[in-house]
Amino acid sequence: MAEVAAAPAEFAPAEIEEFKESFGLFDRVGDSQVGYNQVADIMRALGMNPTNKAVVAILGNPSADDMANKRVNFEAFLPMLKQVDAMPKGTYDDYVEGLRVFDKEGNGTVMGAELRIVLSTLGEKMSEVEIDSLMTGQEDENGSVHYEAFVKHIMSV
Amino acid sequence: MGCGLGKSEPLLKKFHKAISAALLIQRWYRQHVARLEMRRRCTWNIFQSIEYAGEQDQIKLYNYFGFLMDHFTPASSERNLISHIFRKNEICLDTEWERYFCYKSIEVTKSYTGPHLTFPMTFCGVSKLVEAFKHKEQLHARYVLKLLGETWRLLRTFPNISHVIACHTKPITICGDLHGHLEDLLLIFYKNGLPSSDKPYVFNGDFVDRGKNSLEILLTLFGFLLVYPNDVHLNRGNHEDHIVNLRYGFTKEVLGKYRVHGKKILKLLQMIFSWLPLATVIDNKVLIVHGGISDTTDLDKIARVDRQKYASALRPPKMKVHGCMTKMNENREREACGQVEGRRRVCSLTYHSSAPDHRHDLPRRSLNNTPVCSKLDLSVDEKLNSRCRLSGFDQARCEVKKSDSYLESKTTETDLDEWKQIVDMLWSDPMPQNGCIPNEVRGGGCYWGPDVTEEVLRRNNLQLLIRSHECKQDGYEFCHNRRVITIFSASNYYEVGSNRGAFIRMGPDLVPHFIQYQASTTCRELTLRQSVGWTERSALQALREQLFVHRSDLISAFQEFDPNNKGMISVTHWASTTERVLNLGLPWRVLRPQLVSSTQHGMMDYQQWIKELSITEPKLEISDNSILDTMYKNHSNLETIFRIIDTDHSGLISFKEFHQTWELLRSHLKTEISAKAIADLAQSIDFNKDGSIDINEFLEAFRLVDISAHN
Repeated sequence: MAEVAAAPAEFAPAEIEEFKESFGLFDRVGDSQVGYNQVADIMRALGMNPTNKAVVAILGNPSADDMANKRVNFEAFLPMLKQVDAMPKGTYDDYVEGLRVFDKEGNGTVMGAELRIVLSTLGEKMSEVEIDSLMTGQEDENGSVHYEAFVKHIMSV
Repeated sequence: MGCGLGKSEPLLKKFHKAISAALLIQRWYRQHVARLEMRRRCTWNIFQSIEYAGEQDQIKLYNYFGFLMDHFTPASSERNLISHIFRKNEICLDTEWERYFCYKSIEVTKSYTGPHLTFPMTFCGVSKLVEAFKHKEQLHARYVLKLLGETWRLLRTFPNISHVIACHTKPITICGDLHGHLEDLLLIFYKNGLPSSDKPYVFNGDFVDRGKNSLEILLTLFGFLLVYPNDVHLNRGNHEDHIVNLRYGFTKEVLGKYRVHGKKILKLLQMIFSWLPLATVIDNKVLIVHGGISDTTDLDKIARVDRQKYASALRPPKMKVHGCMTKMNENREREACGQVEGRRRVCSLTYHSSAPDHRHDLPRRSLNNTPVCSKLDLSVDEKLNSRCRLSGFDQARCEVKKSDSYLESKTTETDLDEWKQIVDMLWSDPMPQNGCIPNEVRGGGCYWGPDVTEEVLRRNNLQLLIRSHECKQDGYEFCHNRRVITIFSASNYYEVGSNRGAFIRMGPDLVPHFIQYQASTTCRELTLRQSVGWTERSALQALREQLFVHRSDLISAFQEFDPNNKGMISVTHWASTTERVLNLGLPWRVLRPQLVSSTQHGMMDYQQWIKELSITEPKLEISDNSILDTMYKNHSNLETIFRIIDTDHSGLISFKEFHQTWELLRSHLKTEISAKAIADLAQSIDFNKDGSIDINEFLEAFRLVDISAHN
């Protein structure tokens, strides 16, 4: 899982128009801007999947106050989006590799319970509600998750 | 995790791998949620835009009638078709009303299996009524009329503004729009208890229209009102209005359920609606109104108005006033400005270039002082023009007439002022920006900002404004620094799974507590993703219908970008053109993958796309596509006009009336459809071949029914 940054590619004009439309969907105030605390989600809605830490860095490491109150317009947002676009997004194989770490018996399954603990304690912790929502219907009667099917499922949104 | 370096290196590596794995999954999950949220917002925008466009459409139609009324001579047949909806109720004396609405002659036969009511109403009686409605029974017309009569008598004794004291032992329950959703009202009663002197309730308007049990909701609420007049408070909403009811289903519901006495029931309801109080105030601190406020809201004025004069909030009491909502007609003519100010809906960053400037041109008020005639007759029908001239109402005269009416006594101005207070209270919506501007999206009332909230609350010594009028995904929403609450009680309003409903419980500390719910078990079992998907499918279907009815306009517009007639257009042009034609303020590029099956190198085949949109087969043999399209597009307008014309509510109109309807609609829409085509159409839809047209059959024939395979 080497993290190699590609050279930032240019977006096509039509793509930019589409990003602008999506950006507008998140503007709840009507000033053609969005809050700093929405930037990560908009990028995700546009097909990127940065970590929160990466977004905070791109925003220039703002204070908590700034995160809550500052706003950014589309022109300032676009270059940030480009930077994030250059980051590796994660392929099917990456996800499967990642989950295989927890496959103790090497049989294609991970324990649901273990996954839950990992997601709530490591990395950018998820809440119980978020984890429940993620895992609904994924554990079999033994509480195991068949992770290749799991990854296929989550990538099919 | 481990201490010695050598042995723990593989462990450390594993640890890092675990973290990376966790991060990957977390990133993926958050992306999934963000994308769902975006889909949900798109879907919401679609539903809301179509809803508000429909409201705007109706007001335009009504304004058009107003224009006809003011400019046609009394002798004209067209005017006569519609004049009765503007006529004030002639019978004024109470005794005459009593005679008209007398239920005594209506017999309850032995075959009636529904509930029997005794008067005066008791708690037992109204609980029985609720049970009966739960079991889908229908109340006999005799009891309906008696109950409504008693309600009317009671409402006349109420002031315009109800005052309530909050009490420790009796928290007040506040409910928002119900819109005929009986299951939601029953759910509220189940969770919260029935209204009583220990359980006071405020119902904040819009009890009727859209849902199919509007009448049952009214009878239930009125029943409780009669038993507990000091503890049940009803505020009027913009749908408690007989003109609005013509379009949005309540009129149809009543006439369908009560074929013999429906007309009387509707008339009595019309009076009851005009007698509904306009606002409720709790402890002189919390104001509850259906729509909202404006910068001119004055509670003292509201307290003094003669509220029953305003049978329909859509029209001021004096007929010869040109201002009223004709401003909305002006906006229709403003095609050059592109879409309507995008405040309310997704602000289209990609289209509106002139909107900010446009905003400064808008006068603060949507009423008075608009020179109507010069703008309205842009391309008005030849016939209309000649009638205008014949009856002496030419342009210059119009202006003179207008200034005359303003020289009249002050009562006209006061009436207008009062009327505006009421319209603003019933139709306005909050906006995030400061200021107060006309609400063009709905066509009535204002958009008011946080500064107006502060000022009005301060001026009237209030601390909180509770209003309804707008559907919210979670059933409620704060805005304006938590000084305004929107409370909406009809769950699944747009579609099963679209939103929750909510109500407020409030004690003497005046702190609102929210209880949310969602009727219907099916949607509770769906995951978020499934529920978003379901609602989304429904919204896209509604959107496809809109696209379908506008197909001729769309094709002509596309052809402007396709001079060589190749049938192809770029995605960019497709998006901007579709917005221009439909004017819904939607994110077309985001929606494109779900509306257009394939594109190549950024181009699409629009002819093919339009073909693929064909979602219905005409039920009649009508070769002229433009008539068909006009029918589909104006389904609601047609229905409204028919119901207005059909004064005896027989459900039938003559060929002549049909022809006149068409003339009315044609000049309003400025479409070109030949008289012969209309006559042929009339013949072909005379299904019974008896010289008259059945309204319901006709409307059914032109209702869009999706024939495409779609799960």
